[in-house]
Amino acid sequence: MTAIHLENLVKRFGAFTALKTMDLEIRDGEFMALLGPSGCGKSTTMNMIAGMEQPSGGRITFDGRDMNGVAMGRRGVGFVFQNYAIFTHMNVYDNLAYGLKVRGTSASETDRRVKAMADFLQLTPMLDKPSAKLSVNILQRLAIGRSAIVEPAIFLLDEPLSNVDAAFRAVMRTELKHLQRQFRQTMVYVTHDQLEAMTMADRIAVMDHGVLQQVGTPLEVYNDPVNLFVADFIGSPGMNLLKGTLADSDRGLVIDLGALGVTAPLDPALSAVARTNGVREVVYGFRPERVVLATAGQGLAMPVTFIERIGARTVVHFGDGEQRVKAVFDNDIAVQTGETVHVAVEPRFARMFDAATGVAIREV
Amino acid sequence: MSMLATEEKLSVTGDRSTPETRIEDGGRRLGLMLTLPAQLLVLFIAVFPLLMQLYISLTDWSPLDGIGWWQAYELWNNFANYTDLAADSRFWDALGRTALVMAICVPAEFLLGLGLAILFMDNFVGKRLFYSVMLIPMMVVPAVAGYMFFMLFQSGGPVNDIVSTLIGRPFALAWLSSPGTALIAVMIADIWQWTPLMFLILLAGLVGVPEDQMRAATLLGASWSQRFRTIVMPKMKTIIIIALSIRVIENFKIFDTLYIMTGGGPGVATETISVYIYKVTQQDLIWGYVAAIALVILIALSILVSLAISRMNAAKEA
Repeated sequence: MTAIHLENLVKRFGAFTALKTMDLEIRDGEFMALLGPSGCGKSTTMNMIAGMEQPSGGRITFDGRDMNGVAMGRRGVGFVFQNYAIFTHMNVYDNLAYGLKVRGTSASETDRRVKAMADFLQLTPMLDKPSAKLSVNILQRLAIGRSAIVEPAIFLLDEPLSNVDAAFRAVMRTELKHLQRQFRQTMVYVTHDQLEAMTMADRIAVMDHGVLQQVGTPLEVYNDPVNLFVADFIGSPGMNLLKGTLADSDRGLVIDLGALGVTAPLDPALSAVARTNGVREVVYGFRPERVVLATAGQGLAMPVTFIERIGARTVVHFGDGEQRVKAVFDNDIAVQTGETVHVAVEPRFARMFDAATGVAIREV
Repeated sequence: MSMLATEEKLSVTGDRSTPETRIEDGGRRLGLMLTLPAQLLVLFIAVFPLLMQLYISLTDWSPLDGIGWWQAYELWNNFANYTDLAADSRFWDALGRTALVMAICVPAEFLLGLGLAILFMDNFVGKRLFYSVMLIPMMVVPAVAGYMFFMLFQSGGPVNDIVSTLIGRPFALAWLSSPGTALIAVMIADIWQWTPLMFLILLAGLVGVPEDQMRAATLLGASWSQRFRTIVMPKMKTIIIIALSIRVIENFKIFDTLYIMTGGGPGVATETISVYIYKVTQQDLIWGYVAAIALVILIALSILVSLAISRMNAAKEA
């Protein structure tokens, strides 16, 4: 168990900067997800933690020990590869025993620990099987077991579920989280799938274009995105983001959304921040799940353009051109394509961003 | 439900006369006809000479006898060639010499090729140039290589010059005319010429070793030599067997370079099995005997290769 600290970490490949000054504290025993679209620098970060790539600047410490120049075999890092990288020419037993054998562990001790690990991961019946023909969930368990058997302080997982079909992913997610709880190790999990990050991680580090955008618990990241990228990236569908102008009304500060109308008065605390901030051009944000139908003449009047039924929920698409809104309702919602509906969002669920910088305007 | 299933099965099996199957049968006939010329050719160039060889090897026939080979039965000798062969010490010496050359050249070529291939897994300045240079020996016509080494190993040649410079006193060993060193010179030429082939095949094998498995092994704490032994070698087993088989077969037939350098001499000091067969064929003209020797060698090599292939299949299964 080890805390990982990334300080001013930079990685350049020639002229291309894959990672721009990243600072991140990963706590002891924490499950941290590095989340972002492809090319955001998450895998590069992970490879540097593992020692497979050397940082161009900054440093990585494990419990205060500088890892710069420490070979990857000596960092005490367990790595689960995207395709698991199982030694296909060995059977399950030899795969599990590999780390112990190369470290010169005695045969009896190796045997005892391999059997214990196999027992723990329910791999005992297939110990003698060649590993080339195993199913993917067994491969995952084997890959984790092979790393875990040498008791690494840190576990790194590189998109381990990306080769698995959607139906099976849910099963694997549960299994993985369960294993992490039992191992109690510091885990860093790289993924582009927000569902994986949301369901498994203690905290999520959202990255984009080599820049760390936000670090927080899944709910923090979901409820209070720090900027427009996170607001849009997290959530499925992402946050609704409408351009508008701040305006005073007799009921308090509101956002004028042009053709769509005027929002309900903002939360007093948020209004105060906005007033001191002095911005006028803002982006009004709210989660599709927080949209409720309002009585005629109230809230925002929006034409229904498309209705998407996804079983338990119904996604209603409103508006066209610049100002589009999605809303998620129960599946018995009585709206029809073409009609204009009045919708509202409770002030406490409304978020606001500076239109010029994209940064959230929020109470500190 | 079960009725339906049976019906379906019936219609599947009773399907012989549908247009599709008729086309398929016709296709098979057409395929046979299209490949027939090639099959006849193979029969003519491989099977027929083999049978002819077997036939002649049981007779005393020689082209000097003035009768066609098909009449060789007139000189039938009841396996005398084979019993002679068993007692022919020159044959056994040649065979032993061939085995010695093989036992030294093939491992040397393998180790050198492997070492070079490992070096070429890293990036270094001028890698592409060295890569091309490395493959040149393989492309030199063996007869030319023979002349090259013939000249290099002359008593006043460059090899002796270099040795003289190194040891600081005149050195004038007649490499090719001393029984002790002629075979060494021949082996050096063979190693020079065929290490590149090993290098090429083994490099292809090394490139094929999955990088993530190597990384996984490194992260588990395996040292370079441990990774080499536990990951690289097992993954390359098949390709190593192929490379060794090719070189063993080729080396067994070692002839052109050697013949130009030494002609099998001095005396019989470098007479390998191919040189021996050549001399018996061209000088002694006892073709019945030659046929017997060649057949024995063919069978011996076939056994060797099939052993290698079965090892390879075992490696693939594992």
